[in-house]
Amino acid sequence: MARLLFILTLLLAIGTQAFAQELLEPEKAFQFSARLLDDRQVEIKYVIAPGYYLYREKFKFTAEPASVSVDASQLPPGKVKKDEFFGEVQTYRGELRFVLPVKGLAAQAPQFTLKAVSQGCADIGVCYPPQEQTANVTLAAFSPAGAATPSTPFLANAPPARAAGPQSEDALIAGLFKGGFWVLIASFFGFGLLLALTPCVFPMIPILSGILVPHGAHLTHVRGFVLSLVYVLGMAITYAAAGVAAGLLGTMLSSALQNVWVLSGFAAIFVLLALSMFGFYELQLPASMQSRLAATSNRLHGGHFASVFVMGVLSALIVGPCVAAPLAGALLYISQSGDGVLGGAALFAMALGMGVPLLAVGASAGTLLPKAGPWMDTVKRFFGIVLLGVAIYLVSPLLPAAAHMLAWAALLIVSAIYMHALDPLPPNAPGAHRLFKGIGVISLLAGAALLVGALSGGRDILQPLAGLRGAAGAVEHAPAFQRIDSSAQLDSAISAAAGKPVMLDFYADWCVSCKEMERYTFTNEAVRTRLAGMVALQADVTQNNDEHKALLKRFSLFGPPGIIFFDRQGKQLNDLRVVGFQPADKFAATLDLALR
Amino acid sequence: MTRRWQALLAGGVAIIFAAAGFLAHQWQAADAPPDPVATGRMVLAAELMGLDDKPQRFEQWRGKVLVVNFWATWCAPCREEIPGFIKFQERYRADGVQFVGVAIDQKQRVVPYAKEMGINYPLVVGGMETMDWTRELGDRATVLPFTLILDRAGQVKLSKVGVLTTEKLEAAIKPLL
Repeated sequence: MARLLFILTLLLAIGTQAFAQELLEPEKAFQFSARLLDDRQVEIKYVIAPGYYLYREKFKFTAEPASVSVDASQLPPGKVKKDEFFGEVQTYRGELRFVLPVKGLAAQAPQFTLKAVSQGCADIGVCYPPQEQTANVTLAAFSPAGAATPSTPFLANAPPARAAGPQSEDALIAGLFKGGFWVLIASFFGFGLLLALTPCVFPMIPILSGILVPHGAHLTHVRGFVLSLVYVLGMAITYAAAGVAAGLLGTMLSSALQNVWVLSGFAAIFVLLALSMFGFYELQLPASMQSRLAATSNRLHGGHFASVFVMGVLSALIVGPCVAAPLAGALLYISQSGDGVLGGAALFAMALGMGVPLLAVGASAGTLLPKAGPWMDTVKRFFGIVLLGVAIYLVSPLLPAAAHMLAWAALLIVSAIYMHALDPLPPNAPGAHRLFKGIGVISLLAGAALLVGALSGGRDILQPLAGLRGAAGAVEHAPAFQRIDSSAQLDSAISAAAGKPVMLDFYADWCVSCKEMERYTFTNEAVRTRLAGMVALQADVTQNNDEHKALLKRFSLFGPPGIIFFDRQGKQLNDLRVVGFQPADKFAATLDLALR
Repeated sequence: MTRRWQALLAGGVAIIFAAAGFLAHQWQAADAPPDPVATGRMVLAAELMGLDDKPQRFEQWRGKVLVVNFWATWCAPCREEIPGFIKFQERYRADGVQFVGVAIDQKQRVVPYAKEMGINYPLVVGGMETMDWTRELGDRATVLPFTLILDRAGQVKLSKVGVLTTEKLEAAIKPLL
């Protein structure tokens, strides 16, 4: 079966290789944007895709109205290229930025339309005809060509350029792809290490432990490490494959998997695993098969690796659909360049980084786990409880808050009873027993608090008893968002904002970092006061229908989380977008910029 | 885990991958090259200005093995393949092979270049709107050079974006003679 998986993955990879050969459309190969620095200088920016270049002497810049003029006589020197037909020519690659002097602008509210003609080629031996791109330039953020006036006169039916913010974090990360291969891989490995400390990876630790613990007596360092490596590889390959698919298809596979059946099915697997930990039954092969297997294979038979690998695959798809800036950046790069191979390699490196703590867990499990005896049973039961916790966590987006709290209450209280929380201690009980009972009592009290909270109307799992505080101590709530469901609704909401900046928050029930934002950031006083001066919109894309997909696509997003800002004129502020969790102080600073 | 669980998990994963593969296939199918008959018809229906300022109808080349090359003087890779085209035109003229160059360019640049190179096949000039036409003909990224080879029945047999090597050109033309 491992072979089958390998073939499947290979097939996906070959498919993406084919896509990588595709030529980019001109407005994607050469992304143009411009902004005014003041009433005398305009900054021009071209993001040139890797493998493409622009000719220095082919640039032409004109301004509208005619009273405004742009002086393009001083362009930065380019890279000299010896061309057998044109002699020595200067070319630009990568990110090109330069400032041109402007004359004739009004000192107050300077604004004009910049027309830029450029011409370039791709290394594989094709050239693009001269392209005219326009940008409405004001004293604001970068205005991407075509966003305001989708006019590429030579290419009448070209789609408007992607409104990818050149300055946003995910776009900056997408820019990393222009650097060296190993720098890119190392950076993404680093991003993965950072992500390893977020809720995206936490649920994987008990899952992996649940896989390792039953090995108990046989678990050595090496075997623990190898098993967790297989798990991490399963996760990493899936992450890369799913990421490439998302980048190319424009929608996340994981959002399709976040439905009742898949989540319940996966949770059921954990319940079964947990029950086997409690010794209700042995998850083992029938004796006849076991002996046959023993005869034909050595101790490390492949069947087990395959199942661990599959757990890694499923964990990546279902447990960890966390979108943070690095993932969004890689997806952005893949979607814009069609280069699934490089993007996939980066995502693979990131997933390996995320797997480092898991490898540590695996390697240490061999040492930390008791070899045999009654202690082993206790450890198994503990992980059984943890696995039940994972099952509850998985289905939590599907459950009403009260049911969620009751489930945790039941788990905590029943575990406490098994921990002898209510049995009297003998007078001369050893310290370990006392500690154990203590933990049991804490678990019992926490469970009781959740139970009481749920039954008294509390719906916040972290403050179950808040409801009992009475009206005076009402919990801080996140600001009220206006729900929107489509691009058209967004446009009308923006025009109704009447001079207020607009914030658009993408949300889904399964999006862990969205929930973190809601709980820790939006409730913050500083954030709330700033949000009061804005129109806050929220698009709940849990259903991921066509309207939702179109809305996500409009902002080059592949799924939540994602927060987009618009200025008082309703223009998108590309440099301010937020992808992934942001703590309150940082987010407040972002809001200040939007309110400016 | 038992075999049964493994089988169930494997089945689940196989379904997921199959779904991804299906979506990817659909995505690809949407971008499939235009069909050879319709494209050929579009080429032969065209009419563009010749260097002598007389309109040239592509219909006049029906029944020949027609090589239509979109190019420009400002495009280095296009210039690279032109000497080869001149040689091929010479060699296969008697066999009914007809090259036609469509320059996305200004006439005053094309005329001296054609003279300098000794281009021995008809040239027509198209403006930037011709690039829209090449998109419909299968040049999705609207880049140059772009070459189409039509058989005697007017069906597109080869559609190539980028430089066409002499080997490839020969291999494409030979079976059509």
